[in-house]
Amino acid sequence: MAAVQRFSLRSRAEKANENDPKLKPYSILLIEDNIADVGLVREALMEHNVEADLVVISDGDYAIQFIDNLDGQAGECPDLVILDLNLPKRPGRDVLESIRKNSKCQEARVAILSSSDAAEDKADALKLGAHHYVRKPLRLAEFLDLGGFFKQMLAASRTKDA
Amino acid sequence: MLPHAKSGSLASLPDDESAHNVAPALGTLEQREKELADFIENAAVALHWVGEDGTILWANRAEMTLLGYTPAEYIGHNIAEYHVDAAVIEDILCRLKTNQKLEGCQARLRCKDGSIRYVSINSSVYREEGRFVHTRCVTLDITEQKKSIEVFERLAAIVESSDDAILSKDLNGIIRSWNRGAQRIFGYTPQETVGRHISMLAPPEHADEIPDILTRIARGERVDHYETKRKTKNGKILTISLTVSPIRDATGTIVGASKVARDVTQRVQQEQALQEANAALQRANSDLQHFAYSASHDLQEPLRMVAVYSELLQKRFGGKLGETGDEYIGHTVRGALRMEALLADLRTYAQVSATEYEPKEDLEASDVLKKALANLEGSINETGAQITSTDLPRIRIYEFQLEQLFQNLIGNAIRYRGGSPPRIHVAAVRQDREWVFSVQDNGIGIDPQYKEQVFGIFKRLHSSAQYPGTGMGLAICQRIIERLGGRIWVESELGRGSTFFFTVPC
Repeated sequence: MAAVQRFSLRSRAEKANENDPKLKPYSILLIEDNIADVGLVREALMEHNVEADLVVISDGDYAIQFIDNLDGQAGECPDLVILDLNLPKRPGRDVLESIRKNSKCQEARVAILSSSDAAEDKADALKLGAHHYVRKPLRLAEFLDLGGFFKQMLAASRTKDA
Repeated sequence: MLPHAKSGSLASLPDDESAHNVAPALGTLEQREKELADFIENAAVALHWVGEDGTILWANRAEMTLLGYTPAEYIGHNIAEYHVDAAVIEDILCRLKTNQKLEGCQARLRCKDGSIRYVSINSSVYREEGRFVHTRCVTLDITEQKKSIEVFERLAAIVESSDDAILSKDLNGIIRSWNRGAQRIFGYTPQETVGRHISMLAPPEHADEIPDILTRIARGERVDHYETKRKTKNGKILTISLTVSPIRDATGTIVGASKVARDVTQRVQQEQALQEANAALQRANSDLQHFAYSASHDLQEPLRMVAVYSELLQKRFGGKLGETGDEYIGHTVRGALRMEALLADLRTYAQVSATEYEPKEDLEASDVLKKALANLEGSINETGAQITSTDLPRIRIYEFQLEQLFQNLIGNAIRYRGGSPPRIHVAAVRQDREWVFSVQDNGIGIDPQYKEQVFGIFKRLHSSAQYPGTGMGLAICQRIIERLGGRIWVESELGRGSTFFFTVPC
């Protein structure tokens, strides 16, 4: 799996008006090393017709570089970061810290999506500034419901911006 | 009073020379006889005369005092009556008759109070014209010496036969005595050690201890059970436990030290082996717990993929694979979900095993029961189960664990119900230093032959199609109770319901 993958999620055939900030597609950064979970997140987002540019990074170290690089460039912080905790090279916890330190990412919504149900992992992530902590569901229906949940988070981020 | 021997008066007893020596202080012959008689009667040494046949002819006051008899009980009796050893007095008399002189002949005499005195007898025979007139017997009481010698010999024998090395040394560290134990442990004979310095036993790296020990002894201190290393004659290094105490002379001055050394090499080796085995066991146990915990976590991830993706297959392609395809996907999903349940229980089991004891606080068992019942609400409503309970005590246990106990036992009572709706009763009775909890049901019961087996990991008596379950519930309960130091068991008959009991120490 490449270090960075980009997906363009569109629900309608016609091209959205990219000049209208309100209709501009959302940007989502998914930091997840499990390709199957990446597939499920995409399924979930599509299930709820979320229109977004999805960037997928599969290791913690590269994710931190990506966040750090936002500072020097014209790049903008994603509207939503979906972050796994158990990642190659650097843990999700470090990625979360670098997001929270980054001046451009102060407003970014962060959802932890982890297979851990340890109370201390959850408490730690929330303390470090994650908005939500979601345990990866075992049932498909619950996983697909996450698409709706992410959609709400995205909507909340736009409302705040506006 | 002196008996009148045929030889005449006592005045004739001393020979001319001694008569000459005492002569200047003496008055008349009669006066001399009186004074001599008084002197002999009151002498502090026991004296007697015995006739040829052994009859006691005369004895002085010191002899009466020594043995405790009155003259009537003694004089006129045969001397053999007072000897403990018949052979000894026979021999004495025999020797005297043959004109031998006895010196320091040891014998045992029986006193009036039954006690026995050790004596040393000096005796010879007074003869007139070769005829045996009487013995001249001086009896010395050596009982006290004899006893101290016996004590000394016993102590010496104890020292000598001790398994421990017992030795003494002077304040310069020169070995003065060396018992057989020392020889056995260190391999040196007394000839090889007595007169040499004690440092001959210390391996070089322990040589410093010797002056320290000697300094402490000189100050009057003891060294107790000091574990150190010493070297044997053939170079083997032993672990020994040393006790060194000062030896004082009669004036209380410290003149040396006694040293008791015990070879504890084997004990120390056994202790080490035991410690190592114990540490290995603890490592293995903790590895196993760690393994169970991480295995159940790590297995869950791929399992989740199987579960979710087979559902996704069903969602996307259901109906396009035909009936059989749908059925197979159904098997996959159910298999994955069942495995998830197994892993979850295995995690709980590993978690219980890894939990540190002791719980710090008491909690209300009835509150925890309510919580467990809330978790079971679905199946309680579904089956119309009625659950009653006595008053429950406050007990010391982790809440999560008591919740597991109630939830598993009541959950089982509901799951293994008979034809009628479940009736379940929870009770607690105090017995001595523990609470005995019971969960009684009216379910299908358990064949008594399986009443141990049901507590095993993944042990089930029914197929999961008949009664769903992982086979871990009771194993978890047992693990919890074992860790608490309690017991868990079941009393049941097929078709007559079951009662599960568990105890929690008060």
